[in-house]
Amino acid sequence: MSAAFHYPPFEIPPELDGLRREVRAFLSEASQQWSGWDIGHSWMGFDRAFSRAVGQRGWIGMTWPRAYGGHGRSALERYVVVEEMLAAGAPVGAHWVGDRQSGPLLLRIGSESQKQRFLPKIAAGEAAFCIGLSEPGSGSDLASLRSRATRVDGGWKLNGRKIWTTYAEHCDFMIGLFRSQGTAEVERHKGLSQFLIDLRSSGLEIRPIVDLTGEAHFNEIVFDDVFVSDALLVGRENEGWAQANAELAFERSGPDRYMSSFPLLPLAIDAVCEAGTIDRLSARRIGEALADIVTLREMSLSILGQLAAGHTPAQEAALTKDLGTTFEQRLPELVREITDNAPVISAGDKLSEMQAYLMQSVPSYSLRGGTREIMRGIIARGLGLR
Amino acid sequence: MSSAAASDAGAEIADLLGDQLARLFIKKVTREALAAAEQGRFDIALWKEITDIGAASALASEAVGGAGLSWAQAGGLLQSLGAHAPPVPLGETMLASWMLALAGIEALGAPLTVAGGLLQVDGEGRVSGEDALLSWAPHAAAIVAVAQGAGGRQLVLLATADAELTAQRTLDRLPAARVAMRGVQPLNIAPAPTVLGATGLLAPLAVLRAQQLAGGLAQVLALCVDYANTRSQFGKTIGKFQAIQHQLAELAELTAAAQVAAGYAARQLDSGNADSAERGAAVAKIRAGLSATRGAAIAHQVFGAIGTTDEHILHYHTRRLWQWRDEAGSEAWWAEWLGHRLLAAGGAELWSGIVSRD
Repeated sequence: MSAAFHYPPFEIPPELDGLRREVRAFLSEASQQWSGWDIGHSWMGFDRAFSRAVGQRGWIGMTWPRAYGGHGRSALERYVVVEEMLAAGAPVGAHWVGDRQSGPLLLRIGSESQKQRFLPKIAAGEAAFCIGLSEPGSGSDLASLRSRATRVDGGWKLNGRKIWTTYAEHCDFMIGLFRSQGTAEVERHKGLSQFLIDLRSSGLEIRPIVDLTGEAHFNEIVFDDVFVSDALLVGRENEGWAQANAELAFERSGPDRYMSSFPLLPLAIDAVCEAGTIDRLSARRIGEALADIVTLREMSLSILGQLAAGHTPAQEAALTKDLGTTFEQRLPELVREITDNAPVISAGDKLSEMQAYLMQSVPSYSLRGGTREIMRGIIARGLGLR
Repeated sequence: MSSAAASDAGAEIADLLGDQLARLFIKKVTREALAAAEQGRFDIALWKEITDIGAASALASEAVGGAGLSWAQAGGLLQSLGAHAPPVPLGETMLASWMLALAGIEALGAPLTVAGGLLQVDGEGRVSGEDALLSWAPHAAAIVAVAQGAGGRQLVLLATADAELTAQRTLDRLPAARVAMRGVQPLNIAPAPTVLGATGLLAPLAVLRAQQLAGGLAQVLALCVDYANTRSQFGKTIGKFQAIQHQLAELAELTAAAQVAAGYAARQLDSGNADSAERGAAVAKIRAGLSATRGAAIAHQVFGAIGTTDEHILHYHTRRLWQWRDEAGSEAWWAEWLGHRLLAAGGAELWSGIVSRD
């Protein structure tokens, strides 16, 4: 029987226990000040000072060559650091996109001068990146995007709008996808190019979008004749679609796709214990959650192993993301089932703060990084249905 | 031989054995064969062909003439038992032979079955107790069980003829019985292997069922995809409808999760550590059971009315999913078992428990 998906096991060797202990010690110190509401933000928590401290310890750009400010360590070592950060709900947002996506993209296809200019800053936790993909008229149908790059003397002029860019108002740079040839109707995913954009450029306006949590995590960005030099074209002209897609297996299979709500669970366990007698429902729900976490971690590690071996497990990544985000979304509901907490946000009560934030935040988990419907479409194609 | 070379050789043997068995199952385990088995006919010819290949002792060590495969290496083979559902106690005999070899007890070369429940053994070595549901007991020459005694847990081999059997009807309609032992002198007895924890043989039996569930789900997924690509309504094959595509994508997710969880449990059993083995069994049986529950529902929805008919093959697979998910501890039972341990350890221990290897 030939399956549409493969998950060969991939394990973290015991030699990395020391690194894990080091990260835990760092986090137990750093986490003293974090409220439950803060921790609920997980990798959407943006804290430059924290990112600089992480960079100083050599935990950003870990796998990149030392020549570019990296640390020449293995993908597994990076995984250990990342999963420890997520388990603690650390505010990694200021370096997350650069470490996970933009840096690796530049390393793979960026020019020598781009690598030298940007990678050391990302690795130091000094340069925060965001991704400019979606537009007001192009959400899941990304190939319909219209924002345009027009050739001018010495570079390009960018015009149009990008939306849902995470923390653009706090970030330094964006890697944006623009139409450099043809039209959305005819060329679709052909004729798109990626550019490195300084977010302080003139002609660029960033408007925060306040979301249902009452905070602004996203932005709309208006480009009005924003100039980028030729040196800031990423990779090849008109090849942006394939370049942007190649990143997605990384983006969709990391522990951030199943651990965003994880810090709720230890608190829920303690809440059940404090309530006195342990009831059967609580035990069952917690046991089920553990079975899901262990399974998702196995899947995520397997994909890491496949990526490290040079494969592109796009099916497995889509499948794991859908399962993982479903699990993340389940956790606040699980807490409701097993604790009798009132629907109030009690300052200082970590569980109630975190629960309140996550209840409002989890709907976006099956939207960001490709919606559930897009993931299921990819899986259906892999099954031979499309 | 180095352990790496041994592991390569094991993988090769597992592949060969798996191919041979798959060919045999495709040829012999037809709908007619399944229907005959469910009417009570034991396919002794099929059993003989399987044992001639050496499959029954695949997990038993080479020292006793087995193939010495690890549970991880045998994963594909065990899943094929779930996918094709050969109506013989092959998985049970493999597990029993593995256990007997570990305990230094000679196997019988006959169909065996495995009791998940704990029995008692008295000072004179006589075994008593009950197992509410022992699959294949009516056709097994002997039962492998764990019995608790003053001197600790013992692995016992009991002649089925010495036990009282009360036939039980089950959803998979295969031979099964409530089994009672009253002071039975075992054929053989030895200290229980250290890979077994307080749950005794329930843990490896749960891993076996989880592998079968994963294989059964993969088969059901393949049947569904094939049907969705051939059945036409409204002028197109139903697989072109997004509503069907998304249900089958979910079934694929559930299948993958069951496979991965079963594979994880197999590696935990191979570690030889009883705590790891039990934890792995819990994870696998919970995840595979939940997958089977939702997966069987999706499959029946996709197949529509035809999938509910007796003449269709689908129910031979879905009835087994419903049977296996409840055998060797349901997902709810294992979740409660696991949840109590996590609650006892406290929230601070949760994450370190997840990433630790023992």
